[in-house]
Amino acid sequence: MFNTMNLKEQVKIRLQKNLNQKYIRRLLNIITSRPFLLITGNTFSSTSDKYLNIFSLKNLKNAYSNHYPVAYGSIFLPYELFYSLEIAPFLPEVMAGYSAVLGLADKTLKKSSSNWYSQDLCTFHRSASGAVELDIFPKPEFIICCSLACDAAQKSFYIYAKNFGIEKNFYLVDVPYSYTTKSESYLSQQLKDISIDISKKLGKKLDLNKFKEVIKLSNEFRKWALKVNNLRKTLINYPINYNGLNFILPFHGLAGTKEAVILYQKMYDELSYYLKKQGQENSNNKNNQKRLLWLHLKPYYRNEIFQILEQGNCKVVFEEFNYIYWPELDPDRPFYSLAKKMISHYLRGEIENRMSAILNMTGDYKIDGAILFSHWGCRQSNGGARIIKDSLKQYNIPTLVLDGDCVDQNNSSEGQLKTRIQGFIEILNSN
Amino acid sequence: MYTCGIDIGSVSTEVVILDGANKGNGKIISYVITSTGSSSKNAAKKSFEAACNKANISKDEIKAIIATGYGRINIPFADKNITEISCHAKGAVSLFPDIKTVIDIGGQDSKVIKLDYGNPIDFLMNDKCAAGTGRFLEVMARALEINLEHFADIFLNTSEKVDITSTCTVFAESEIVSLIGQGVDKNKIIKGLIYSIAARITSMVERIGLQEPVCMTGGVAKNLGVVKALEEKLDTKINIPDEPQITGALGAAYLAQKIS
Repeated sequence: MFNTMNLKEQVKIRLQKNLNQKYIRRLLNIITSRPFLLITGNTFSSTSDKYLNIFSLKNLKNAYSNHYPVAYGSIFLPYELFYSLEIAPFLPEVMAGYSAVLGLADKTLKKSSSNWYSQDLCTFHRSASGAVELDIFPKPEFIICCSLACDAAQKSFYIYAKNFGIEKNFYLVDVPYSYTTKSESYLSQQLKDISIDISKKLGKKLDLNKFKEVIKLSNEFRKWALKVNNLRKTLINYPINYNGLNFILPFHGLAGTKEAVILYQKMYDELSYYLKKQGQENSNNKNNQKRLLWLHLKPYYRNEIFQILEQGNCKVVFEEFNYIYWPELDPDRPFYSLAKKMISHYLRGEIENRMSAILNMTGDYKIDGAILFSHWGCRQSNGGARIIKDSLKQYNIPTLVLDGDCVDQNNSSEGQLKTRIQGFIEILNSN
Repeated sequence: MYTCGIDIGSVSTEVVILDGANKGNGKIISYVITSTGSSSKNAAKKSFEAACNKANISKDEIKAIIATGYGRINIPFADKNITEISCHAKGAVSLFPDIKTVIDIGGQDSKVIKLDYGNPIDFLMNDKCAAGTGRFLEVMARALEINLEHFADIFLNTSEKVDITSTCTVFAESEIVSLIGQGVDKNKIIKGLIYSIAARITSMVERIGLQEPVCMTGGVAKNLGVVKALEEKLDTKINIPDEPQITGALGAAYLAQKIS
């Protein structure tokens, strides 16, 4: 019996030895076909972790399987669109995070550097670009990205399209800056046009029943994710190694699938059990624990940040990226609903939108302090740091702006991170 | 009751032994400043023993020891480790109770700490780069072949400066070598260098928001040229402890009173 760490180590070693698609496809096939992964809970640190790994790998396997047309997508797209069109989504930005987890980022970043990618470009995109150049990613038929929040995706995704010679199958969804009725219909029309065009290229008719089915699943996922988020308002005792920042792929990339529904149902059941246990234990030692809100993403390579926080009696009780910002979708109006989902995003438009969402979170989760991980090159997040810090200060919530890099370990200093986090903990605990 | 604070920095290690009749009060009975060298653990041990000898007390008489600084985690005989942010704040407040901003410039990093009623409420640190630290001045002194101790006098007695445009320590060193090659007066270069450090620190102070009174700690506070340049840029008087280099260790010794 091997545990998750062994599995990750094996994958890492094998991938580093041989970086070609065929090999990865074979490897994924072996991993995802092992039935005991589905049955044995002790392979993973928690039920949520188990289903996260299984569904993420299944998603990857689909992208590498040649059974479906593959479409690259940027993180802020509504993935219901992909499932409705029956194209397998592949998220290069998320995969850049995976490559950091697996210790492959050095190779991919080196490759992008050799190819003149600018050093001030975010490393999620630099690493993904290197992976495309190294031929690690599956070959896409379509590439879709959007202008929401991130300014690097639209440029790097177009380069991928050029690399694969599929510029005609490159789609940029232009998300308007303001939220008006006109901008809703402008966005809705774009999503419809893209869907019609992709269906036509696949030799299919646009299947609105499929859209309806996917939207219903998306609503179901939203319902369970909301339940999980509600439960987390009072939860302190989490399963070992539970980290909300690990669920970026299912939260965004699996919306509209039954897997996302199952994952969040299972997570709800598991966290309910922990909440019940917490009530029974009446753990007085946790009473003075400081409740933290995590803003933006985390470093995906091995690091000690969360252990340092735990040791300092601080707990990240919620993460900005798990915030449900969109209303329930209307299955009879799929394009309008998905447009509404996109345009409701708190990262669209002026910083006040993000600030308003953050203030909702600080109230809901009784936040004592916030950590904004300022990822190198991510202008949409870093640009608001001062305003976020000053705004939260008005509510007596201290904020640590932690400069670092989510993907490139060489762009972060462990000692400096440690001192900053410990200094912040000392400030929180002295209040 | 004796307590001890040990500040293990990248360049130097400082030890302070405090005799405090009551918690919150204290009298420094000995302090030691040594070079850290290649082993922070050895430096801490030797400095601690030297401080005990100087105070004429045995190690066992010390009720609690707190380690701080970048090497704080590697001190097995310390009872606890606390960051230099809290320790410098505590040390500075013990000397100047009303201060609201602490500027600490050490060998490897510089930081600005904001205080409210003596407690740190916010801080900023320099970013993985030696610009704006003691290391920057050391490298420049070597390039100029002038003892660092003379920098302050040169700064105070020189009226003109040459702007140093490079932020990076390595590039600034090259720039200086190039200026020397062009025959530029070294005194003017030194004045420019000190102003460049002051500009960097001023920017950090402004980011966090200047609140007076201000205190400066760390080894670089001994350089009156840097202090003067900062006072000029910030348009405020800066309070300097008699021995600014031991402020972190002093704060650690005070904080050790809480756990003894």
